[in-house]
Amino acid sequence: MKHLYKDNKVAYVLLAPWLAGFLGMWLIPMAISIYYSFTDFNLLNTPSFIGITNYIRAFTQDKIFYQAMKVTFAYVFALVPLRMAFALFVAMILNKKHKCLGLYRTLYYVPSIIGGSIAVSVVWKQIFGNKGVVMSILEAFGIQQKMSLVGNPKTALWVIILMGVWQFGSSMLIFLSALKQIPGSLYESAKVDGASGWITFSRITIPMLTPTIFFNLILQIINGFRVFTESYVITDGGPLDSTLSYVLYLYRRAFNYFDMGYSCALAWILVAIIGVFTVLLFKTQKSWVYYETGGDE
Amino acid sequence: MKKNWKKLTALTMAGVMALTAAGCGSGSAPSGSGESGAGTRAPATTAAGTTQAAQTETTPGSGDGEEVTIKITWWGGQGRHDYTQKLLDAYTQLHPNVTFEAMPAGWDGYFEKLSTQAASGSMPDIVQMDYLYITTYAKNGSLADLQPYMDNGTIDVTNVDANLLNTGKIDGKMVGMVLSTSALVTGYNPSVLAEAGYAEPGTDWTWEDFKTMCQTVKDKSGKLGTAVGPVDDTNIFHYWVRQHGEPLFSEDKKSLGYKDDAICADYFEMWKGLMDGKMAANPDEYAQIQTLGQEAGPVVTGDAASIFEWNNYTSKVAAVNDTLKMTTPPMLEGGSKGLWLKPGMFFSIAETSKVKDEAAAFIDWFVNSEEANDIIMAERGTPVSSKVREYLVGTGTMSSQQQDMFDYVDMAADLSGSTPAPDPVGMSEVNEAFKNAAYSVFYGQATAEEAAASFRSEADAILSRNN
Repeated sequence: MKHLYKDNKVAYVLLAPWLAGFLGMWLIPMAISIYYSFTDFNLLNTPSFIGITNYIRAFTQDKIFYQAMKVTFAYVFALVPLRMAFALFVAMILNKKHKCLGLYRTLYYVPSIIGGSIAVSVVWKQIFGNKGVVMSILEAFGIQQKMSLVGNPKTALWVIILMGVWQFGSSMLIFLSALKQIPGSLYESAKVDGASGWITFSRITIPMLTPTIFFNLILQIINGFRVFTESYVITDGGPLDSTLSYVLYLYRRAFNYFDMGYSCALAWILVAIIGVFTVLLFKTQKSWVYYETGGDE
Repeated sequence: MKKNWKKLTALTMAGVMALTAAGCGSGSAPSGSGESGAGTRAPATTAAGTTQAAQTETTPGSGDGEEVTIKITWWGGQGRHDYTQKLLDAYTQLHPNVTFEAMPAGWDGYFEKLSTQAASGSMPDIVQMDYLYITTYAKNGSLADLQPYMDNGTIDVTNVDANLLNTGKIDGKMVGMVLSTSALVTGYNPSVLAEAGYAEPGTDWTWEDFKTMCQTVKDKSGKLGTAVGPVDDTNIFHYWVRQHGEPLFSEDKKSLGYKDDAICADYFEMWKGLMDGKMAANPDEYAQIQTLGQEAGPVVTGDAASIFEWNNYTSKVAAVNDTLKMTTPPMLEGGSKGLWLKPGMFFSIAETSKVKDEAAAFIDWFVNSEEANDIIMAERGTPVSSKVREYLVGTGTMSSQQQDMFDYVDMAADLSGSTPAPDPVGMSEVNEAFKNAAYSVFYGQATAEEAAASFRSEADAILSRNN
């Protein structure tokens, strides 16, 4: 028993930094934010308990809440398939033997590292904005625009989606490593049977990738719902709230309008939405995800 | 069982990730905020200079000799950061026992940061405060009452106009010492007007003249008549409403103060007309203009004729272009006096501060002393003390733009009505609703009447919730 006890102590010591972070940065703030979501709290007053009023207010009185929800859903549903398709496409190309492959892989990953930053968003704003490069190019091709892509409420969200698609690197890396694990023997026997490239792709590559697709899908959906920087910097939610992402709205509520209690309620509504999506996806996985090992059964 | 675990993990993952979202983007970003007195945007700098590891806590009422550190925060551009630091150093030389911990910042993000500091009880001792937020902070009791310091002479207010001084009084409590006066101006570039062959406007010009000017500039030179963002906030609209003889907000601040939505609809209509005629920057062009920053704005560079700003506008951009001029904003034919002298900014003391006496003494020095104002050189707006104003005029060291700024206050005084009450709580949300309503007109998605009505319903909802 004695040496076991000793082992535990070491384990706790090693765990301590993580545990402190987990408690201090996640668990306690999360618990507090649940509490705040049931209070009237403007950051400066003492929170007073008001039950589920904040939640009722969101669903019954807040038009902007629905607008932000609409924008965010549109963003997620457009972004996730596009980004994953693009990531897979690039991963397939990079999954070949080539001299500078390492270099290419690194290069294609770069946008994912820098893409979420303020600086890139500012550049993006300039490129797609009024008098920006994109407008000049469109004009050169004779496409006269009344407004820039960022300034037009109909297209502004697409600029932000495009920026999201551009950050395909992490999905790409995951796809790439999964592609490497598909046994070559499958492709060889397909070749022997005379299967075309498309058949090979749709009957071997895709099915073998489904666990990875599933994993990426969940990750990307969660990430997608959290979009903030792009809509904050490039458009500040505008024009006409056409790019007002849910998290940006939540942030405004908390720090511009001093509506912290309500903002916490909004955060928890988002948690619930993401939770529902995740559970639904897990429920469907049996019908389309192929585990070579037979999954967890 | 295993499956349940998976669900749980997924849910936790989802929750944790969702909650990390809001915290990761608080860097300073260009966004439009019509700010009084300090539009120059500069990146926030870190505290530098005199910060000293002196002890931070003293008992209130400690006299000279005891070491104190005063934490002070303000917003502004790089120029303001530099001279304010100098100012603090100068004060430390006069009072070696007082050192400062400076927290300068840009306008963007300043109040976001302040609200979190206030929430955690770590508000700096001296806070530069804006009319937009002073009510919010006062209502929550985070600002100290300065009246006792004014009564006992720590802060000398004998040379400050009583009306102006009282703008810092919220619900009977003096929560801010007003530092400067500002007033709405129309800034213009004389060479652009000359190019178009349009005579420079006088103080008696009207909105009709303004439209004619924009049209002439557009026709003759193809430049913008005005580069203003007319709905960035409600200041110009406020002026417009007052010209119609009505207040923007009701007395109890629970609703809009004007009765007739046509006032608002006319305002939207006028600007839409100017934008459609390419005389004013449309929202898209305006977004691009905003990224340039004030010193590179179209009026400064000679690409537009006019802008609506505050009376420190020409001195603010003088380093880049010193030919700009100012006049009063257009009058409404048959309308009433819409202008007002706006308190430029305040110094407030945190209720939680442990060095209130020393902080008050510093504010007094800032407002009244010649050596302080030699350094400030009216960069924060026209000083409130009439003696300081006289002194600065007397020194002859002021640039012609600064002279204009001083003169403007007298000029505007003749055209001013009473000073409106401080902005109600929820003002920034009202501004956002106003902007959205106006943009729906500018983008042709709603008629001016519809937008005016929707602005009223939203503004009333916001105001009644907050006040």
